Amino acid sequence: MNDELKYIRNFCIIAHIDHGKSTLADRLIELTGTVSKREMQDQILDSMELEREKGITIKLAPTRLIYEYEGKEYTLNLIDTPGHVDFTYEVSRSLAACEGALLLVDASQGVEAQTLANTYLALDNNLETVPVINKIDLPSARVDEVKAEIEDVIGLDAHDCPCISAKEGTNVEDVLKAIIEKIPCPKGDENGKLKCLIFDSHYDNFKGAICLIRVFEGTVKKGDKILMMQTNKVFEVTEVGIFVPNTKEVNLLKAGDVGYLAGSIKTISDVKVGDTITSADNPISSPLAGYKEVQPVVFCGIFPVDGAKYGELKDSLDKLKLNDASLQFSPENSTALGYGFRCGFLGLLHLEIITERLEREFNLDIITTAPSVSYRVFKTNGDVLEISNPSNLPPQVEIDHIEEPMVKVNVFTPPDYVGAIMDLCQDKRGVYKNMTYLDKRRVELNYELPLGEIIYDFFDSLKSRTHGYASFDYEFFGYSPADLVRVDILLNGEKCDALSMIVHKDKAYTRGRELAERLKKIIPRQLFEVPIQACIGNKIIARETISALRKDVLAKCYGGDISRKRKLLEKQKEGKKKMRKIGSVEIPSEAFMSILKLNDEE
Amino acid sequence: MKNNLKEISVYIHLPFCERKCLYCAFTSFVSSDDVQKEYVKHLIKEIENFKDGYKAKTIYFGGGTPSVLRLDLLGKIFDALKNKFEIEKDAEITMEVNPNSVDEEKLGFYKRLGVNRLSMGIQSLNDKTLKKLGRLHTKKEALYELQLATKFFDNVSCDLILGLEKEKNVVKYARKLIKFGIKHISCYILEVHENTPLYSLVKNKKYQPLNDEAVAKSYEELRKFLEKQGFNQYEISNFSLLGFESKHNLAYWSYDDYVGFGLSSHSFLDGVRYENSSNLKDYYEGKRQSEAIINDKEIEERILLGLRCKNGIDLEKLKNLGYILEKNEFFMQFLEKNILKKVNNKVFLNPNYYAVSDFIIEHLLP
Repeated sequence: MNDELKYIRNFCIIAHIDHGKSTLADRLIELTGTVSKREMQDQILDSMELEREKGITIKLAPTRLIYEYEGKEYTLNLIDTPGHVDFTYEVSRSLAACEGALLLVDASQGVEAQTLANTYLALDNNLETVPVINKIDLPSARVDEVKAEIEDVIGLDAHDCPCISAKEGTNVEDVLKAIIEKIPCPKGDENGKLKCLIFDSHYDNFKGAICLIRVFEGTVKKGDKILMMQTNKVFEVTEVGIFVPNTKEVNLLKAGDVGYLAGSIKTISDVKVGDTITSADNPISSPLAGYKEVQPVVFCGIFPVDGAKYGELKDSLDKLKLNDASLQFSPENSTALGYGFRCGFLGLLHLEIITERLEREFNLDIITTAPSVSYRVFKTNGDVLEISNPSNLPPQVEIDHIEEPMVKVNVFTPPDYVGAIMDLCQDKRGVYKNMTYLDKRRVELNYELPLGEIIYDFFDSLKSRTHGYASFDYEFFGYSPADLVRVDILLNGEKCDALSMIVHKDKAYTRGRELAERLKKIIPRQLFEVPIQACIGNKIIARETISALRKDVLAKCYGGDISRKRKLLEKQKEGKKKMRKIGSVEIPSEAFMSILKLNDEE
Repeated sequence: MKNNLKEISVYIHLPFCERKCLYCAFTSFVSSDDVQKEYVKHLIKEIENFKDGYKAKTIYFGGGTPSVLRLDLLGKIFDALKNKFEIEKDAEITMEVNPNSVDEEKLGFYKRLGVNRLSMGIQSLNDKTLKKLGRLHTKKEALYELQLATKFFDNVSCDLILGLEKEKNVVKYARKLIKFGIKHISCYILEVHENTPLYSLVKNKKYQPLNDEAVAKSYEELRKFLEKQGFNQYEISNFSLLGFESKHNLAYWSYDDYVGFGLSSHSFLDGVRYENSSNLKDYYEGKRQSEAIINDKEIEERILLGLRCKNGIDLEKLKNLGYILEKNEFFMQFLEKNILKKVNNKVFLNPNYYAVSDFIIEHLLP
């Protein structure tokens, strides 16, 4: 083995959301002098505007830290990871590029649902997992108890783990020492045949697709001919480099290194995250184990507000897909909304992130329909359909039965809220499985729930019923038959396909009524009265009426001030652009998401 | 030479009040003698600096409360106007007055100056309401002054505000006013503007304006009543006996040229709109904004102005500007539902839909 490898460590940080990953990353960067204090801004790795705003990490970002320890200079490659359950897939991608992981646990919150889920992921990837207790500066910190939790619940040795405050900078040096002492150095031969893993990619307007890579064997440099093993495409390398944390070109990347590679790759689909790169002249015989393809679980329609921007929307989705392999989309046509796409996501947060990125980074005005899951519809003629768009559900008479996706839900909660959570799960058609008292302060509850109920408002309800103290995690496990019906909405007698929803029969009346009431509040008055009806098949189950507009302002155009009036009308008209016409009724685009927010005003 | 003069309407803004009404969002203030003198000095300078070549077909003194202005100062303004413009023989010259600020001496003076139309801010004939809004006159005083005004002037208009009290009242007030022989009524809906004392009153639930439904109803009732009395609705908020339409007001709706002198006043000259600063110091320094009304802006204005009054929109005119209204799907729907009426190349708003004109206009914009 090459001697230099001894001085490299590739690691990532995993944690439950809000336990302080990005802050720790900031401190590590600062402490190793990678970025000068002047350049330091909080959450330096969270470069996406959205990430900073929401205070979360969505995309993995790698950076190289140089640290001197016992007279030797070490290269530490840090790959930041997202913490939210929706992005488990991203986490597993970064794990495959590392030998070890720091498991960060909040000293007052203790072990949470995603702490556990992420630890299992790390263990599955054979990573050395080093626990770190963070936020010891909080008055509510209970370091010894949390150490015990880590040992009892997770089964990791925590007796001498670093106890730090990333915010205050306390004991952060201990983390660097633990990385060097506990995480193994990479193995691999720089004289071997080239073998790299693409763990992420993004598109640069000048350089083409940029591959973020971990080199396992061999070396790669400018001018090399490389082969993408899955897509079978050959490219000439135009640039290799590292992240410090901004990109910096280097001469060579070799076994053990983490960096990036560009090769004038113009076609986005030629780069597949999880693919193996090898030398075109001297290829290896079999690729690295890639990632399992992720299946989207939440779907919604995305339409351009301006129908002419369909092409732009498609290009934007293509570009987003480049570094978000989990995003899926296919063309869709709606009578209410025109041409757009049905998109699949890993979860609700993922959906929200993508739609916001489309609006901000690509400057698109879009309309999203309410999220749905994918149902299996068994027809009487023996056909089986996958339906993720409620309006594609065949007529009731042709359906033998419908199956809905189910998830296993783990909830971690203080014991006080067990009753409230059980009520919630019951209400969401959950099946109780198990309950374990982890210690005096923490209970783990296991339920099986329909995914459709989770995406509806489970997370918000859980948060409000437990005052934010409970955390949860879920995992898809299969399909189960259910008595489901489609509720349609008629506006002024015309069906609005984008407002249809598939719901359990027992809840159809309530949900239909709630949606009609909500639409009444959202849809502005028109010149005529507009009835809103919710129905199942031909049966009307709820009705509301928007009364006709009676007056708008008869402003005095005093002293000939016409401009003010004109500008007022222009502004109102601008708002109208976000409206869609269903028959002769104009409805604002946010109405299509309103199905989801039915319980807001309770 | 004089035959080549261009017709223009002239507006003079006099921003003085004895007291500001609680709902007022216009540029006006309580003033001392010195302030009035200083203001009139600048106003006259502005008139003198205006370009030559116009004859005035209307002159309108608005405010504020123009009747608060010292008569000698008003005389000076008139002199300046006569020097600048040829005033047409049948020019309409309007003075806005408040019931509490006129007397026989003032009315006689106005008449001698050449004023031939009086617009009186009655607003309501309910003492409680008047007090609540911060008006300085009572019902009794208002009617006394109106009586006096009609002795001096044949052409008197009254302002009423809709939305203050229960629907029926406005009709009652209009009936009363007509008995005095007035020729014109303007009615506006109460608007609660931010930065007015009324806004805080409403916010703190100390004053509750009428709801939309009720306001619409009172507007409809007033419209119908005035129609029966022979008052013709020539614009959304203006009614008059035949031949007593306000020529000055119509100039605004007809896209004619007009010039406004004074603080925060507006002008429209050769397709450009000007707005004087509403800050006294800035106004004295001659600060104003301007905006050329071209392309879509002109189209928008022609639709907006045309539909609000009996003039209607000229489809041919719009077509020349590059906008074919017939291609707007809403236009066709509105025609079908009889919301709009088309006569030859002109389109008019059905008066039954005046109350929702913003909604309709907004849908017809390019």
